[in-house]
Amino acid sequence: MNDFKQQFLGDTLTKTLFSETEASATTNGLGSTGSGFETTAHKFALAPLQKPVEFAKTHIDNTSETQARIQAAHGTTTLAFKFQHGVIVCTDSRATMGNVIASQTVKKVIEINEFLLGTMAGGAADCSFWERELGRQCKLYALRNKKRITVAGASKILRNMVLNYKGMGLSMGTMICGWDEDTTDPALFYVDSDGQRLENHLFSVGSGSTFAYSVLDAGYHYNMEVEEAKELARRAIYHATYRDAFSGGYVRMYHIKQDGWVAFDLQDVGELDIHYYPERKGVPDNQVQEEIIRPAGVSV
Amino acid sequence: MSEASRSDYDRGVNTFSPEGRFYQVEYALEAIKLGSTAIGIQTSEGAVLAAEKRVTSSLLVPSSIEKIVKIDDHVGCAVAGLTPDSRIIIEHARGQAQSHKFTYDEPILVRSVSQSVCDLALQFGESVGESKPKMSRPFGVALLIAGMDEDEKPSLYHCEPTGTLVKTRLKAIGGGQEGAQSKLEADFEKDYNENPTLEQAKHLALKVLKEVMEDKITKTNIELSFVTMGEIRGKKAPLFQYENEEALGQLIERIEREKREQDALEFGESGDRMEEDH
Repeated sequence: MNDFKQQFLGDTLTKTLFSETEASATTNGLGSTGSGFETTAHKFALAPLQKPVEFAKTHIDNTSETQARIQAAHGTTTLAFKFQHGVIVCTDSRATMGNVIASQTVKKVIEINEFLLGTMAGGAADCSFWERELGRQCKLYALRNKKRITVAGASKILRNMVLNYKGMGLSMGTMICGWDEDTTDPALFYVDSDGQRLENHLFSVGSGSTFAYSVLDAGYHYNMEVEEAKELARRAIYHATYRDAFSGGYVRMYHIKQDGWVAFDLQDVGELDIHYYPERKGVPDNQVQEEIIRPAGVSV
Repeated sequence: MSEASRSDYDRGVNTFSPEGRFYQVEYALEAIKLGSTAIGIQTSEGAVLAAEKRVTSSLLVPSSIEKIVKIDDHVGCAVAGLTPDSRIIIEHARGQAQSHKFTYDEPILVRSVSQSVCDLALQFGESVGESKPKMSRPFGVALLIAGMDEDEKPSLYHCEPTGTLVKTRLKAIGGGQEGAQSKLEADFEKDYNENPTLEQAKHLALKVLKEVMEDKITKTNIELSFVTMGEIRGKKAPLFQYENEEALGQLIERIEREKREQDALEFGESGDRMEEDH
């Protein structure tokens, strides 16, 4: 602890700053909610230093590359696209921490409410927390205004919330998907922890997104039928899990319709591999040679 | 003595009278009686809220008057008194309900949300140092909070400016509260043996409301809502909802027909009594 005190604080300030902020950090936790007129109920204590942003940059790992002290779960393929019958939202289910597979059964689709879905890429905790907070705000909006918030409005709330913590170690790349009340078109926005917010027909986020994009771009058109759209999403996630070591597990799929979303059963990407390629075509059987592995020290 | 102490001790919101009375809060209770009437009934199936809307001009848009509001999917609330005061309370209640859901991933208990409202009722007075209360005076509204918890047990709570929270099965607040309360209690026992169905409770609420209302009852000058088991996305869940217009029209029609039949019956039995009355 002393080394980073030296690094980020002037010596004289150290003692007073630490004693003050450590006390306030405990009272500044979750749970205090106020009247409900506020834009964000929760306020997080920053690192108790003069330069909390600098501290976050060097101590919280956002890229899986650095030797940071705080390692967040990373590695993902998520995708969502609009088509004539709504939005297809599809993800893998693997979470990695460095080279370790932390889980193969992560739920990377966050059900914000009956009409809104968010996806999870980057820090699992950040996505989960802020999208649940978004759900709270959307419900309050609906109670106050007697109608649902638009997808555009919801995604902007999320962006504004995470922008307050820009550069402080948040890691979130999400797609906010839904269907607005009394409209004939579905809506899809991309929001990330840099504060970027984009609208488009098609997005893919995560380390496997390039692979997913290649499949999606080859097969995407707006006038797809539901089955074709589901198949496209499934193939895109499958191919991403095939090439990206940080993606894998199961294909999780949702379809957003005008009257809300429906979830489909999980599909094991291993089984999909057998389904798509019962035998590895293009590689003659006689050329696939099994490597003979001999135990070390055993000579033949 | 009483008069003197009343004028001496009713100025501040931080002074008891020597008799132990707290006049500003008592006056707040009077403010409730200036409002239009609201009724709440709890049955084993669910709870009903009904309220009168004072549509003082034909140019006034009745739907802009809000006497019954939704707090969460499973809780609703009827107000009487200075309705603008209730906006602060309702915002607070909604915030509490959603924060609870955020923190615990479950709907808030009806009792908890009602209690949080009553805690707020006491937060009035002058600002002391850092702490700044929401109001400088007591709230001038009473609330009837109806809801249903996940155990499918409905409940009805009554909150007052005094900060008192009471769980009740029958309650009337507002202008006609005394008349409505005694009628409610009498009919509750006589007609339904203290255990009406939800539909019977709706009928009772409107019947009593009609009797205490200043204007003739119509579809537009009342509000009727109820909480019972419903469906949220194909899943059974407690659901607060407003009665639809068609059902409301039928209920009013039925009440008016019954009133006519009863009048005719009384007229038939004792024709001269009617004469005497007029």
